[in-house]
Amino acid sequence: MELQLTLRKQQGEFTLELDLQASGERIGIFGPSGSGKSTLVSCLAGLITPDSGQILLDGQPIFDSSRRINLPSHQRRIALVFQQHGLFPHLTVRKNLLYGYQRCPATERRIELAEVAEVLEITDLLEQMPETLSGGQSQRVALGRAILASPRLLLMDEPLSALDDDLRYRIIPYLNLVSERFRIPFVFISHSLVEMRLMADQVAVLEKGQLAGLVVPEELARQRMGQSSTGYINLLELGIPQEQQGLLAFPWAGRELLLSGGAGTESGTFELSSKDIILCKRHPDAISARNLLPCMVRSLFESGKKTGIELDCNGSTLVAEVVPAAAQELQITPGSTVWAAIKASAFRRL
Amino acid sequence: MLLDPADLQAIWLTVRLAAIVTVILLLVGTPVAWWLARTGSWAKGPVGAMVSLPLVLPPSVLGFYLLLAMGPHGPLGWLTTSLGIGPLPFTFWGLVLASVFYSLPFMVQPLQNSFEAIGERPLQVAATLGASPLNAFFTVALPLAKPGFLTASIMTFAHTVGEFGVVLMIGGNIPGVSRVASVQIYDHVEALEYGQAHRLAAVLLIFSFLVLLGLYAWRPNPKKG
Repeated sequence: MELQLTLRKQQGEFTLELDLQASGERIGIFGPSGSGKSTLVSCLAGLITPDSGQILLDGQPIFDSSRRINLPSHQRRIALVFQQHGLFPHLTVRKNLLYGYQRCPATERRIELAEVAEVLEITDLLEQMPETLSGGQSQRVALGRAILASPRLLLMDEPLSALDDDLRYRIIPYLNLVSERFRIPFVFISHSLVEMRLMADQVAVLEKGQLAGLVVPEELARQRMGQSSTGYINLLELGIPQEQQGLLAFPWAGRELLLSGGAGTESGTFELSSKDIILCKRHPDAISARNLLPCMVRSLFESGKKTGIELDCNGSTLVAEVVPAAAQELQITPGSTVWAAIKASAFRRL
Repeated sequence: MLLDPADLQAIWLTVRLAAIVTVILLLVGTPVAWWLARTGSWAKGPVGAMVSLPLVLPPSVLGFYLLLAMGPHGPLGWLTTSLGIGPLPFTFWGLVLASVFYSLPFMVQPLQNSFEAIGERPLQVAATLGASPLNAFFTVALPLAKPGFLTASIMTFAHTVGEFGVVLMIGGNIPGVSRVASVQIYDHVEALEYGQAHRLAAVLLIFSFLVLLGLYAWRPNPKKG
């Protein structure tokens, strides 16, 4: 999918002014609230009309002020999943799912109800009314409904932010699965860096209505580390744990990571902040942190007032952060070795 | 039978009038309410005020202007005469037209409220799923506004049954043509036929109470609507 847009839209005091070219199947739009993300989404979906500019989707104009082209929403075939699921309360789940399907020209239909329902695990809910569904189920139905319209592009405007924390990350695999399985390119909008890294290959960063950069999400996370109160979030895929001295030992990178109870006994993705990793030049004899990993320093990067350190732990990557003075004192340079100390309670399951 | 044939004729005329007015107002009031609920135009204020005028105007004022408009020298009268229908005052259809104006806010306001309560979002969702504005109106807005349609229809019907002043101004008091129940009661009282006035008044009282009872008891929870 190729998206080219130049547009200007004024809304009261706020002006969105963008010049953006992005291609790929998983594009992210990242920015704080008030940065213009939702205005951009509305312009793409045709819910509001830009004051001027041009929007090309795969080379085709869907909006062009100079040529007086403004394809109405219902002809754009750009589906939208909102923050609030927006299911039609008067229709069953099945009829909700089929709403866009029935309105898609038969020659363009590529996706069938049974398959989508199976992938999203909503087959049992088909005859229910939306009011009986939980938040996560509703959002899955909304996603299925958008997919079944066989859109050229799927817009997801903060689709996870209305969900509880533990539910949020359970939806992400579905999002990735459907777009991959049914080959629907998407634009994912969020103010969460972690969601960006899980969902997008390329991220357009918006600030105050302007494009502040087009980067890969990993790069963005490193740039933001120094200013972020949560630091850089390492995302670790951990295997199935075994109990060990009242802790859970999860296999990772050919060794074990000890996590405190409550981490759950399934495999999964865990967060670990760069702030929660302490680096030691030599092996500390006695330390309360339950994890002590020998690592090799791969590279250093500056981010705000912090120095980020990319570590190689047995082939897997960890990012830690220190103040520049500490990096000098410990003589941390690429190729040197350090010990990374991590408390068992520093990990959080996504 | 408690009611004499003249009373029954008046009741039948009233019901017919109210039913026709309700149907016409469903057709006319729905687009007006839809427009008022969704427009950002400067005209929203003036149009909204015009629609609501019958709520506050004395029926005689409304009736007076309508009488002038429908009369042989008024614009409506000129139109109906040139169409070969003749002037409308003192006819059943004149009464229908006057009642449409008189009951307009009772149809438009509940509908406007329920359209506003639906909000933009469901219609935006429908549009992104390929529904044209008209299609979205019929498949999303209309079903979601069902409670509003019910309320508006009942209110319009009941209000038309209860009108008096406009009927006298436009329709006069012609049996079978414009003598509705409320006018018939007035006639009974004028003729000192208190017994008949009592019976007919009781019919209207009970009808009105039952209508309102139904409305309040049945009205779906507005939070869900």
